[in-house]
Amino acid sequence: MNAATQAAVQIVIGGLLQGSLFALVALGFALVFRMTGVINLSQGAFCVLGALLCWSLEETLHLPVPLAILGAALASMLLGLALGAAVFVPALSRLPNSGMLMLTAGLLTFVQGLMLVSWGGDPYALRPLSGEAPVQVLGVRVPTQGFWIAGTAAIVIGAFWYLFARTTLGKALQASAENPTAARLMGIDVEGMSVMSFGLAATIGALGGIMVAPILALQFDTSQFFTISGFISVAIGGMGSFVGAVAGGLVLGVAEQLAAGYISGLFSNALALGLLLVTLLFRPSGLFAIGGARRSDVREELHIHPAIVRLRGRGAAALGIGMLAVILALPLLVRDPGLMGSLVITGILFIGVLGLDVLMGFAGQVSLGQGGFMAIGGYVAAILATTYGWPPIVGIALGCAASLVCALLLSLATMRLRGHYLALATLAFGLVVDSLDVGMMQTTGGPSGLVDIPSLEVAGIDFGSDRAMYYLVVALIVVLVLALVGGMRSSFGRALMAIRADRLAAGALGINVARWKMGAFAISAVLASLAGSLYAFYFHYLSPEMVGTQRSFEMITMLVIGGEGTLVGPLLGVALLTLLPTLVQSLALYKILAEGLLLVLAFSFLPEGMFGGLARLAARLRAPAVAAGLEPRNEAR
Amino acid sequence: MSVHALEVKDLSKSFGGLRAIDRISFEIPVGGLSALIGPNGSGKTTLFNLITNLYRADAGRVRLFGDEMSESGDWRIAASGVVRTFQTARVFPGMTALENVLSGAHRHVRAAPWQQLLWLGRAREEERALAAEADALLELVGLAAFRDTAATDLPMGAQKLLEVVRALMARPRLLLLDEPAAGLNDGETAELALLLRAIRDSGVTLLVVEHNMSLVMGVADEVIVLDAGAVVARGTPAEIQRNPRVIEAYIGQAEGAR
Repeated sequence: MNAATQAAVQIVIGGLLQGSLFALVALGFALVFRMTGVINLSQGAFCVLGALLCWSLEETLHLPVPLAILGAALASMLLGLALGAAVFVPALSRLPNSGMLMLTAGLLTFVQGLMLVSWGGDPYALRPLSGEAPVQVLGVRVPTQGFWIAGTAAIVIGAFWYLFARTTLGKALQASAENPTAARLMGIDVEGMSVMSFGLAATIGALGGIMVAPILALQFDTSQFFTISGFISVAIGGMGSFVGAVAGGLVLGVAEQLAAGYISGLFSNALALGLLLVTLLFRPSGLFAIGGARRSDVREELHIHPAIVRLRGRGAAALGIGMLAVILALPLLVRDPGLMGSLVITGILFIGVLGLDVLMGFAGQVSLGQGGFMAIGGYVAAILATTYGWPPIVGIALGCAASLVCALLLSLATMRLRGHYLALATLAFGLVVDSLDVGMMQTTGGPSGLVDIPSLEVAGIDFGSDRAMYYLVVALIVVLVLALVGGMRSSFGRALMAIRADRLAAGALGINVARWKMGAFAISAVLASLAGSLYAFYFHYLSPEMVGTQRSFEMITMLVIGGEGTLVGPLLGVALLTLLPTLVQSLALYKILAEGLLLVLAFSFLPEGMFGGLARLAARLRAPAVAAGLEPRNEAR
Repeated sequence: MSVHALEVKDLSKSFGGLRAIDRISFEIPVGGLSALIGPNGSGKTTLFNLITNLYRADAGRVRLFGDEMSESGDWRIAASGVVRTFQTARVFPGMTALENVLSGAHRHVRAAPWQQLLWLGRAREEERALAAEADALLELVGLAAFRDTAATDLPMGAQKLLEVVRALMARPRLLLLDEPAAGLNDGETAELALLLRAIRDSGVTLLVVEHNMSLVMGVADEVIVLDAGAVVARGTPAEIQRNPRVIEAYIGQAEGAR
């Protein structure tokens, strides 16, 4: 065998090993999707959790390895069952699909936060199960751990087959998946089966994480990598099909290794996204889809009856002027520079969340990639200003233009697809941007970030001080909020709300659903980009994790707990999550945990957000200023 | 040949082995109020969905005001002046009654989104004019008091009326109503009859799918009877009431009816 062939074999074997890991995660996805029709983004968190638990059991409690693995898998299963029973399954009957998707994003954040609090942010590696020495296969060296991964995948697949083909429990699961109503009539506990699937998926994920941990160091936020790889595998294989999940995982693993080996590691993420988009466009049901995998069509989209919060006329003007007065006076009252800085950041992030509100609150589309657009805006503006000395304003404009182009391309590519493919495409997009930020060391500074970014200077005015930047951001926000209020109260906003409420009826009235969705997406991308640019100029520094996927999730949390579809409401969410960690420094470690928890709790207890809750309270108390323009709240269903 | 509001020629649609619509041909004159009746499963709603491009026909063609129906995009149908309602009222949740009616005006809005974002005088004036038009329509159906109520909080009968008014707001040339009287009480049905006549008299062509025979016989100029995916009779209400094939389709006494 010559060197080239040998290298190729090495790559393919590596790909198959990586692919068996993806296949395991994908199986978890497929199981939950088949049972509930929901794409469970928290899947990846259980992979890392399993590995970290196993590390603690081995290193801290000094348990023998097999016992540690068993214990870690069981503990992950218990947490999965608990979250499934307490949060996930009860929400199924209450939330629309987009809400479920965000709820699982909240669960992902929650488990990640739990891991950050318990294990810190450092990467952990387990000891290989059978020594460090690789073995020779077909003349290439393969780490023995690879066989453990592939073996585990094979055993899990076998167990799956046995469960579904040979056991009563499997039959009950199958029946609940195919026809929940009929299964219920036959006395099957469908909710219990859904909880069971969530727990099983968590266990499978944990096993995958434990097996890969000796060759891939894991930390709390590696979860996103597992989630997206598993999701892409199952999407190209065929949602809800177990065979498809395994095949999709293997295909993705080999494709990524080939891309990494022959082109550059940089492109393996981009390739995964490309593979996903091409599959979704040409074979939306997946490459290996077999019958019975159309679970998403079975779960009927719930028609949500969101609370109506409308402030009109004098009530709105009074509230707006009052809020603005407080906001303008804040810098005079705040002496602490740290807090002043946090106020600036609150304003900057609010600009990005404002865009998200147009897209999610009005048009009802979920974007999990807002951080990606912030990154484009931030890096384009910062690189042009720092490396090439261009005026900041030109960089900001070009960043917005680049984000706009990306948004239009993404929505064109996903336009014909139903369901939440736009949401998932934005997640993949965010991760691609993320990997480019990290990978393009020469231009972006890589993981350690871009330094020495100049201050924002527009028309000779320097916005280097906190106070100057604060007033600039406030001015921008006032202009943007006024514009969006104008737009959202006109036919523009009504078209978006109609699309969110009922796209079929909207179409029958002559509303071009695709076009208006695209418009909302463009607005959200441009505002995120603007926020990203301001962020970079304000900090004089930009690193990938400042504008990464965690940021995207955080912005969704801010929006939901602030109050969707109200434009000003999200400010409450942004302020809460930005100012609290500054005011109480000891809370910083718990930030991610709190974000996940708040998102999950908001979905359960305060679906209209803080703003809606306050408006309702104010209406109840009949405070004249607010009640003047507030309509009676629409009690949910 | 005069132009018809709707001309259906040899239209067919099957679901699996079931022929839901079997080579149907008929035409609706401009300015008339036609009713489409038939037993459950006779293909009325399928026909509506074919005319409004929600389903793709297997064969045949549909002409709207003499123009061949465009290939794709349900919104294009509305853009050509053909607006429909749905069998179960599909008012927009999360929007007030007024906003629901206003959303019907979407295709007539002249101001561009950027003009609305900038609060330009032209855009605001247009909004005010549309709101006045919507208020007048709400007044017409007796829903003015509920303009700021969440649409989904209205009783079912009011939601059905709201949906009709929302469709009217789109200023249709041809209005397709799918069982507008379903869920309405006798008083509301009588009001609906008045509303339908008023719509016809304002120059809008109507095609109404309806089960309520007294409503149909009271307001329709022409009745088309569908059974098992085919037109079995058409004529004035008086002719239809005497037609033995219609009686057969509904009562189903003869063996060979289906």
